[in-house]
Amino acid sequence: MTQHDPALLSAALAAAEQALNQAVTLAPYSHQELDAVSGTLLGIEITTVDLTVYIEIVTDTEVRLMAHCERDTDTFVRGTLEDFAALATSYDPAATLINSGIELEGSSTSLITLQQVIARMEIDWEAPLVELLGDVVGHQIAEGLRRFLRWGEGARTSLKRQVSEYLQEEGGLTPPKAELEHFYDAVQSVAMRTERAQSQVEKLLAKAAARETPQ
Amino acid sequence: MNDEATSSADRDDDTTDFGFTRVDREAKASMVRGVFDSVASRYDLMNDLMSGGVHRLWKRYTIELSAARSGQTILDIAGGTGDLAARFSRLVGPEGKVILADINAAMLEVGRDRLIDKGATGNIEVVQADAQALPFKNNSVDCITIAFGLRNVTDKALALRSMLRVLRPGGRLLVLEFSKPTSALLGKVYDQYSFQILPAMGRLIAQDADSYRYLAESIRKHPDQETLLGMMEDAGFGECRYHNMTGGIVALHQGFKP
Repeated sequence: MTQHDPALLSAALAAAEQALNQAVTLAPYSHQELDAVSGTLLGIEITTVDLTVYIEIVTDTEVRLMAHCERDTDTFVRGTLEDFAALATSYDPAATLINSGIELEGSSTSLITLQQVIARMEIDWEAPLVELLGDVVGHQIAEGLRRFLRWGEGARTSLKRQVSEYLQEEGGLTPPKAELEHFYDAVQSVAMRTERAQSQVEKLLAKAAARETPQ
Repeated sequence: MNDEATSSADRDDDTTDFGFTRVDREAKASMVRGVFDSVASRYDLMNDLMSGGVHRLWKRYTIELSAARSGQTILDIAGGTGDLAARFSRLVGPEGKVILADINAAMLEVGRDRLIDKGATGNIEVVQADAQALPFKNNSVDCITIAFGLRNVTDKALALRSMLRVLRPGGRLLVLEFSKPTSALLGKVYDQYSFQILPAMGRLIAQDADSYRYLAESIRKHPDQETLLGMMEDAGFGECRYHNMTGGIVALHQGFKP
């Protein structure tokens, strides 16, 4: 009766949960951040694949992933796979969240905290996959996942560089970064000189006013 | 028509299924006990063999669907080695209670030891109980789970009514059980696996091909998805539905006490 086979989804969530919790255990910096949002429940609806996943931050060292949850969520976000991929890899999740097509209900704090904790982790997917599916299958899937993530990172960097080059060189729509920095420096320099000139003028005006004032 | 519906109709013949064999109704319980006495020490290994390890995922989804929360009372019937009970113990917390029930003393012994090893103590009671006559007060339990146990019960309709009696109004029953594959091709592959490979593995690993053959046969004699759904409705459960998992090899049925 459900659209997705719950066993398949459970397999993916179990592997992700185990990898995430192992990584959290080994990343003491994340404990304080997670502690601040512990007890919160996030719902994530990915409209592209008609899938909803729930993330409960149980404690500062434990995160629970679920395919089904009947509790009210503290935060619920809805968006496409592309939106969430952009958010997951963003250096500025708050800005990405505002500028993306993601719909948000509730507080964004726990979502941004979790994104920042995950973004800083280098998760080893092999151990939980091997534990879940055995040595042979688990290793093959982990290897495929590593290749995919490497490809994804490479593709992202390459796409960013090519888009940037097109906008600057071919389209002439945006100035190169170095040129822009030089422009900003020049503006800064003009602003400082203007301030100094203004200050000099004010001093001279004050002196002139003092001379004109009868003793 | 599924066999379970038939066996309810012709109850006066005093026989029931034990795998593919018809046996005396009174004898079935002790015969099932014999199977589980034989496999108790290797029960987890058996589940891994029968499901390819996927039973952990089916149980994980069962726990999610239970919506168990702090302070609740959960009854896990045919709880076997206590893997569901251990998880529920954490979810209901010290204010809640988990009752691990099984008709088989050998299974309960393994389950109790396993729970102690996992540190799951304090809020768990272990009770030897027959699902057909549960020794608990009316309206005393928030959620009942029975995972891979209903097919071994002699009178399933009686057991379902007993569960309904024990549940609080609004409480839910979750029945996780092997069922009927939704694809004919998968069904054929599954049959080959169940009747050729599984007994051979049972012989090699547990030196007990007969018990494993019974387990495969009992799965085939168990009511299919729609039949079990109808039985739950007949017993008095409301909002009944089921989720097929792994192509219908397993189904998780859910019903609420009105």
